[in-house]
Amino acid sequence: MEVAPGECLLVLGPSGSGKSTFVLALAGLLGRDVPGGLEGALRVEGPVGVVFQDPGAQLVMERVDDDVAFGLENRGWPRAAMAARVPEALAEVGLAGLGRQRTTTLSGGQQQRLALGGALAPRPRLLVLDEPTANLDPDGARAFVDRLAALRAAGTTIVLVEHRVELAWRLADRILVLGSDGQPVDLGTPDAVVRRSGRALIEAGIWLPADVDAALGVPPPVPGSPVVGGAPLLDARGLAFGYRHRDPVVRGVDLAVAAGERLAIVGPNGSGKSTLGRLLVGLLRPDAGTVRLLGDAPHRLPAGELARRAAYLFQDPEQQFLATTVEAEAGLGLRGGELARLPELMEALALPLGRFGARSPYALSGGEQRRLSLAGILARRPRLLVLDEPTFGQDRATYRGLLAILRERLDAGVGLVAITHDERLVGDLGGRAATMAGGRLAEPVAAEAAA
Amino acid sequence: MIVLPELDVRQLASPMGRASPLTKLAVGLAWLAGLVATTDPRPTVVLLVAGVAAATGLGRVPVGRFARAWLPFVVAAGGVVLVNTVFGAANADAAARVILEGGPLRVTEPALATGLVLGLRILAIAGVGVAFAQTTEATALADALVQQARLPDRFAYGALAAYQAVPRLSLDLVTLREARRTRGLGRGWSAGLLLALLVLALRHAERLALAMDARGFDAGIPRSRFRPVRRRREDALIAALGAAALAVAILAAR
Repeated sequence: MEVAPGECLLVLGPSGSGKSTFVLALAGLLGRDVPGGLEGALRVEGPVGVVFQDPGAQLVMERVDDDVAFGLENRGWPRAAMAARVPEALAEVGLAGLGRQRTTTLSGGQQQRLALGGALAPRPRLLVLDEPTANLDPDGARAFVDRLAALRAAGTTIVLVEHRVELAWRLADRILVLGSDGQPVDLGTPDAVVRRSGRALIEAGIWLPADVDAALGVPPPVPGSPVVGGAPLLDARGLAFGYRHRDPVVRGVDLAVAAGERLAIVGPNGSGKSTLGRLLVGLLRPDAGTVRLLGDAPHRLPAGELARRAAYLFQDPEQQFLATTVEAEAGLGLRGGELARLPELMEALALPLGRFGARSPYALSGGEQRRLSLAGILARRPRLLVLDEPTFGQDRATYRGLLAILRERLDAGVGLVAITHDERLVGDLGGRAATMAGGRLAEPVAAEAAA
Repeated sequence: MIVLPELDVRQLASPMGRASPLTKLAVGLAWLAGLVATTDPRPTVVLLVAGVAAATGLGRVPVGRFARAWLPFVVAAGGVVLVNTVFGAANADAAARVILEGGPLRVTEPALATGLVLGLRILAIAGVGVAFAQTTEATALADALVQQARLPDRFAYGALAAYQAVPRLSLDLVTLREARRTRGLGRGWSAGLLLALLVLALRHAERLALAMDARGFDAGIPRSRFRPVRRRREDALIAALGAAALAVAILAAR
């Protein structure tokens, strides 16, 4: 295949289809930084700019302008040219005037646009992006894709791997579809690909925009049925919390969850959602206010009892892995009856133990890691689930599987608090949704309205 | 959580902030050599006062900020004074003058003197360190190491990137311990926890190295410099004042 100058190629494929490997190959990093066997020929005219998924793992320098200049220094640009180009590149990504800020003071969305600015600064002939919006909130993702649209209009050649097709679809001149075996399935304009391979894309679990789904006859999702009158599980009043020497990140939050009830918490990065989640399951002690989990303050409960009552899914799957194999990780801390549920559950999560059990949790894809981190929680069957981004990195098939398991748990009387950027999940869960901003939680509304 | 010191604009624009980190390092090392070499309290006091003055005067470090950074060392110094005074070998000397006696406790004047000198020395050494840390940005240090001390880029900027990952590492540890608790495993430590922390650190380093190489780092082209480090008037000033303080300290010695 060829990508012409000024073209935008969108790469789609189910999880594990080699999309990221394709990006590394284009960036010239395969064989050099990543060991493996590389066959075939690849020619790229001129330098390549690369943006990866995790904003925090690609910023090198302490301050914004130094970070943009880093790539220019590496290419030996003269100082005067750098001094002119750095503010220009920052303006191109909407960060004009922030040059002397520390990169750690930027929001996730700003950090990712900074990474884009750093990749753009040396005027690459080709820009390659590997799921650049995966870690961003909806507004941050939209702002990022808007910048990409402006670059495309200005004639930049772009290769984009992206799960959030609703946003990326309109940018694509052509689409490359990779199959689960890493082989190309189709290549062509969006209309031609949908016409030729639409059904195959859906069967492979690849997300498509809602209007394409409708045109292909995919039935719209049925929202979950709201539950009324369950026994109260969780009751929080006037919750406030601040980390040491910092301003409070949670201020005066009230919320209650009953058995079978689902509550989605949405809102921008840094609004205090994860901190609230940690307060609800007793990982943090509130500075003010009270939490009652089945009548007790969760931070005072012994670990074993806490784990029986409530589970917490951390945002970053890797940060909660404590064992060296998938099987040991899924079964960590489980007892006899809970362990017995594991094989069937792993099958339902598309991580059959026969195939995945002996692997290292770190060797899994992001979406597989997410499902593994859910396995132990779901096998234990606690009364309350507090899940931070439970659907991260899921394709259509694994998303469906996950949703079915969560609904089955809800029908069995479990309460669910889902902290998420996934607007689709908010709608599919049904129930209520509440927006968090600046540490405060707004009054919950019906989920359909929030999604 | 570990938080790296964030310097404000006044600290960075001060004579100490503008001087090359290597100049400050050279002066600081000369002072440290002097402090370690002597057991005389007078030069120690001279350098202690000079260090605090350099930070708060020449470095415009707010006094409260300096005190907060210094506090752990003050506590440590207090402990050293106490231990050496109470358990000092000189307390066994029958000829020494006794200050305090009661039960098994016998505190003599030479033991107290030794304790105080050791405590002062810790305060002075810590003062030098705080003066350096509160006026030096990590990036400036890396720039100076590469451009003035001719250290390899890969080492200096790799170390800079690693240094910035320290807060992330401490966050990883907090989260892993929380994860243990949510799995019903209690708050304790385990080999698995430390292994997981090591794996996270390695994976983060791997990703960062990939991102650096994707931006052409270490590609064999000579790097240019966005922030050239030049010798400035402030370097001469800091070096001269540093040498003067050291001279006064030596003259003050018996």
